This record gives sequence, structure tokens and C-alpha cells, in this order.
Amino acid sequence: MALQNEDKLEVGYSSLQPKPKKWVLLMLRLLAFFATAAATVVMGLNKETKTLVVATVGTTLIKATLTAKFQHTPAFVFFVIANGLASIHNLVMIMGDSFGQKLDYKGLRLAMIAILDMMTVALISGGASAAAFMAELGKNGNSHARWNSICDKYKTFCDHGGGALIASFAGLILMLIISVMSIIKLLIKPKPDSTIVVP
Amino acid sequence: MAKINKIFSNILRLLAVAATVVAIVFMVTSHDSAQVLNLTFTAKYSYTPAFKFFVVGEAIAGGYTVISILLSFKTLFWRIIVFLDMVATVLLASSISAALAIAQVGKKGSAHAGWLPVCGQVPHFCDRVTVALLAGFAAAVIYFVILLCSLYAVL
Repeated sequence: MALQNEDKLEVGYSSLQPKPKKWVLLMLRLLAFFATAAATVVMGLNKETKTLVVATVGTTLIKATLTAKFQHTPAFVFFVIANGLASIHNLVMIMGDSFGQKLDYKGLRLAMIAILDMMTVALISGGASAAAFMAELGKNGNSHARWNSICDKYKTFCDHGGGALIASFAGLILMLIISVMSIIKLLIKPKPDSTIVVP
Repeated sequence: MAKINKIFSNILRLLAVAATVVAIVFMVTSHDSAQVLNLTFTAKYSYTPAFKFFVVGEAIAGGYTVISILLSFKTLFWRIIVFLDMVATVLLASSISAALAIAQVGKKGSAHAGWLPVCGQVPHFCDRVTVALLAGFAAAVIYFVILLCSLYAVL
């Protein structure tokens, strides 16, 4: 009789466990949302225009306007799209955690959340690494391919891009932690057939 | 069901090892040189940090896959395999993305930055790198399926 009471107490304790984890997960998702949204916005609005005087005809100066936009580089376009998708994912997950606790599909809610989190982590990591190596190429150039660096001419563009990259890497680390926590939540889910036998 | 899952996962892991090995071999053996206006123009994978990262990433993922195949004969699916598979998937996705970004610039150039494409001068290099990138992409996709199998096994 005492043993059964102990087991019942254990079951009650383990059902209280996820509560502090729920707040932690929500806070992490909020931080990751802000990080990826910041990366998207900063890189999306990344533009720099320079005006050079090319020639002088008489007294009029002929000017050439050169711009550096993020759309010129497919790696940065992928970066913006990946971070945008990741922030949408985080937003949907925050809404789902806050308002849609009852939503379920054949008991696969936790599995779907875990799989979507893993897909988002892979997406963010792809976008961040592509943009990082592209930025390194822009900063250092490549002497073997005769590619000159562009950061000395477009300093603001490079600075803003670097800031967006840092935000995206912070978002990546946070998403990695979130994904690990989602999988842990999936693994410690109490299985319905392993109940305590009560004679 | 668990046994079928394990066998299927091991077959996929073998395919992934093969894909990573092909990617590494083709990337490392890709070098070409051309003479352009009295200048010798060589192209090697080690001239680009993105390709070096690609080789290292594939090597780590391939090595981990071999270890996981060998260990899967000893015990059943551990729960830790899910996390390690996720790390390997993220690493593969990251490697292939970085290499593809730089390879795209190499093939098409960047008119806005004044960078000329190099594939016209060193076609052999470009062909080998293309094969390596295809194999790397296949490895990433296969690894995502492996991850889903591992997740299903510990559900």
C-alpha cells in the first residue's frame, strides 16, 4: 500500500516537471524570433549607394552611381529567405504554445514540433554559412581568382551585413538549443502503456 | 518494425558514407591550370575557404556515420543517436550551402562586384567541383531521412 502511494506521488511529480521547461522554451523561442527577425530586417534593408565622378566634360561632371544591394548576391537572398522563414516558424510556434494548447493531430503534436524545429535549424545553418562565406569573400577577395575585395569601397554595406550575420548565428545557437529541448520533450513524454500496476 | 527500421537506417547510412566519400575525393582531386595572357591561372580547392570547409564538414560527417554504423551492431538505437544525427545533418547542410554559394559566384561571376567567372578558363576544375557538390547535396538529403528514421525509432 505504501509502495503504491509512493508510485502515485512519483507520477504526480513527473507531470509537474514540464512546467518550468515550458516557460524556458517560450523565452528561448521569443529570443530566437527576435534574433532571426533582426537578421532578416538588417540584411533586407542592406543597401549602399556611392556616387563617383567618372569624367569631366567642360564644366559638367559626369557621375556614375554604383549601388551594393543584398539582391545582387544569391547567397544573401537565401540568407534573408531562410531567416524570414525561421522567424515565421518561431512566431507560429509561440502562438501555438500560447493559444493552441489543445491542437493535436493523432497525438503527433510533439513529434511535428520536433521535426519542424530540426528542419528550421538546418535551414538557418545553411543560410548563415552561405552568407558567412560570401561575406568573407567580399571582405578578403580571392587573389587566385583575381577577385577584389569590395568592403573597402562599401564599408556600411559590409558592416550591416556583418551585424545581420552575428544576429543570425545567435539565432542559430538558440534554435539548436530549442530543437534539443523539443526532442527531449518528445523523449520524456510519459508513455500511456507503462502505467503503474494497481492491483 | 524496429529491426526493419534499423536495417533501413543502416543502408541509408552506407549510402551517406558513399556520398560523402565521393564528395571528398572529387573535391580534393579537382585542380586545373590554364594559361591566360602569359599568366598561369591555377585553380585548386584549397584556394577557397568554403571548399576547405566543405571537405572538412563532409569528412566529419562521414567519419561519424561510419562510427554509428559500427556501433549500431552492438546495441539498439540509443536516444543520443537522434541528437548526434541532428548535429551531422546541420553540419552537412551548412557545408553544402557554403560551397554552393561560392561555386555559384565562380560559375556566373558577379557583375556588380566586378568578379569574372572562372569556369571558362578551368573547365576541368569546375566539372569535378560540380560532381562533388552533387554528392554533398545527396549526402545532406539522405542524412535528413536518416534523422527521421532515428527519430521514429525512439518515439
